[in-house]
Amino acid sequence: MKLPKIRELLEAIKALITGPYTTKFPYKPHTPHQNFRGQPKFNPDKCVGCLACEAVCPVEAIDHRDIPDPQNPKRIMIHYTDTCIFCGSCEAACIADNEGIKLSNEWDLAFFDRTLAEETIEKDLELCEICGEVIACKDHLKWISEKIGELTFSNPTLYLSRLKSLRVIDENLIAASKDYGRSDRTKMLCARHRRETTLTTQ
Amino acid sequence: MTRNEIIDDLKKRFKDDITNIFDKSEKRVYVEIKPESLERCATYLFKDLKARFNIASGVDTRLHIEILYHFSIEYINLLISLRVKLKREKPVINSLAPVFKGANWIEREIHEILGVEFRGHPDLRRLLLSEDWPEGVYPLRRDYTEWDKTAIRDRGV
Amino acid sequence: MAKSVIPIGPYHPLQEEPEFFRLTVDGETVVDIDVNIGYNHRGIEKLSERKTFDQSTFVIERICGICSTSHPFAYTRAVEDIIPVEVPPRAKYIRTIIAEGERIHSHLLWLGLAGHFLGYNTVYMWVWKLREEILDVMEILSGNRNNYAMFKPGGVRRDINPDDIPSAVKKIDSIIPTLNRLKKAIVDDPVLHVRLKGIGILTKEDAIDYCALGPTSRASGVAKDVRKDAPYGAYDQIDWDMIVAENGDVFDKVVVRVLEVFESIKIMKTCLKNLPEGEIDLNIADIPPGEGIGAHEAPRGETFHYVRSDGTNRPARHKVRAPTFMNLPTCNSTVIGETISDAAIILASIDPCYCCTERIAVRNEKGKKIYSGKDLIRLSQQKTEIIKRKMRIK
Repeated sequence: MKLPKIRELLEAIKALITGPYTTKFPYKPHTPHQNFRGQPKFNPDKCVGCLACEAVCPVEAIDHRDIPDPQNPKRIMIHYTDTCIFCGSCEAACIADNEGIKLSNEWDLAFFDRTLAEETIEKDLELCEICGEVIACKDHLKWISEKIGELTFSNPTLYLSRLKSLRVIDENLIAASKDYGRSDRTKMLCARHRRETTLTTQ
Repeated sequence: MTRNEIIDDLKKRFKDDITNIFDKSEKRVYVEIKPESLERCATYLFKDLKARFNIASGVDTRLHIEILYHFSIEYINLLISLRVKLKREKPVINSLAPVFKGANWIEREIHEILGVEFRGHPDLRRLLLSEDWPEGVYPLRRDYTEWDKTAIRDRGV
Repeated sequence: MAKSVIPIGPYHPLQEEPEFFRLTVDGETVVDIDVNIGYNHRGIEKLSERKTFDQSTFVIERICGICSTSHPFAYTRAVEDIIPVEVPPRAKYIRTIIAEGERIHSHLLWLGLAGHFLGYNTVYMWVWKLREEILDVMEILSGNRNNYAMFKPGGVRRDINPDDIPSAVKKIDSIIPTLNRLKKAIVDDPVLHVRLKGIGILTKEDAIDYCALGPTSRASGVAKDVRKDAPYGAYDQIDWDMIVAENGDVFDKVVVRVLEVFESIKIMKTCLKNLPEGEIDLNIADIPPGEGIGAHEAPRGETFHYVRSDGTNRPARHKVRAPTFMNLPTCNSTVIGETISDAAIILASIDPCYCCTERIAVRNEKGKKIYSGKDLIRLSQQKTEIIKRKMRIK
């Protein structure tokens, strides 16, 4: 009976010397390991606005809102912090080299007002020149044309958007070309009007 | 006995009861039997072959209600599943609870979630659903509709 | 039935996973026991039919907080059994590492709770301090202390960085000396011998009849373990032993769990040191129609998943069976005939997920409630005090 007591006494003395094991949070800040999966954050420079993360999310924590204002068209990407489960599916599905949305190290996310628990970024949208429908984000069209190389020139929407972003053409060049009845072929169009201009004539 | 010997023995012994055998792979065999012969086959598997009863899964397909009874024979790494198909309007089958006690709770669960009646079960009360759940509403059926109009739906469900 | 007993309330603010045991007593001896479950029924089987195969893994992970890896492991094995296909070797080793890390932390959690029920609160605090080291190891390897999100049908989702492995192995090695001291302290302690030996015996015939699983049945002499009978992952390439005891009482269940922690540490370190190179994911495109079955040895027993697919990207039926479902009815044969002060530790020895034994109400023959769950734990701790005093006088 004595030997077990001596063993436990040694453990107790060791615990007395080293002090309590609990950390002093919240008086001292706590930094987790660098591998810790914290809150996802959008990167406005890398995100292309393709909505792949929204399709993959298991809990529907990512949403988008399109504002098709002809002067200033914008797509707003929203991430709801109170629904997110920090699984990392959005980061794994991001087409921009997994950098458009990334899991940071932030974990101290408590809040009082549930309606404020969202993070948003804005991306520029491209609208159809005939009907004003939403086509895609400008960065997404640029990403597609970079990926398919010289095949870009088969689709006026893609090559016009690419050349505009490189500032090779501007509005004056398009307006100055004479209208032979097929001027709709050199405009940025949504899918429905692209089919109509290809299959019908004026 | 080896794996193939066991399956051939089953085919011979219950040749009137088995309607179909699907030999999927080395470790999985699916045997379809008539509902009347469930007790005979299950008793043979449990008592003579010393298989362990894993669980019973109830499935609602559009044509009938199926119940699969999974038994595993560990020393040859084989899992035999007995499948019975019951009529959708009035699913009734004999209970296995008198044969071994491990089947008691799962039959209570299938009874309240899918609406299958087990003849001869000693104690067929509710296991999982609460007392104010209405009778005749079976949640796992394909035609289940939400009966509680005040339920709140949150984002993502 | 529910009219004469006033329960503490299964939705108590301190409880996470409530159950409700109702004991009928005659003096000090338990005469009858009844179990009411279903307070935490969330309809996960129905929810899993509305998500795709990949998204459903995250729902399945949150069935249980402690054995959070065992359900996705069995589910992904069931989906891979539909095709059927084998994952690459590196994925198998990573899956084994995560599964064994979870087994260590779950058994240490149970040891602490068992100490609390018996009145050894120091053991409770020491064992949970050890458990923090294992949770730090899981944070290094997978990114989170609890829901690891590492599994997907066809492999694993994230790779283990080789720079992280030496620090993880060092942390695992740091708990081995304390665990050795703990093992000797438990096995030698005479108070524990008197308290736990011969209590709550589950005979081998009953264990087979109720189809009990895991350490509950291995302590009764039934030598069955899914990792040895149907090897998967990396379990057939590493040398380890299955722990079986003979008597079936509560002391044997404690010993089986303590010795299993040492085996798990051995498996985890061997896998971390011998990780093979290669792919981690098969990139399965789509699942053909069919059915599949997957099983995994969770810390509490065998988890069993059955998945049926009809060719779309969502499961048509997903059946989940946790091991506690088969272990809980065994309390009918272990508790009846024992005294009230032993009821708490016997119900806890099957290791129900979280301490559901706190949701107990005891009533006498007339139906009046005389004891609550907290009272039963207090009675159990008092019995230990009485035994200690008697041994010191001797």
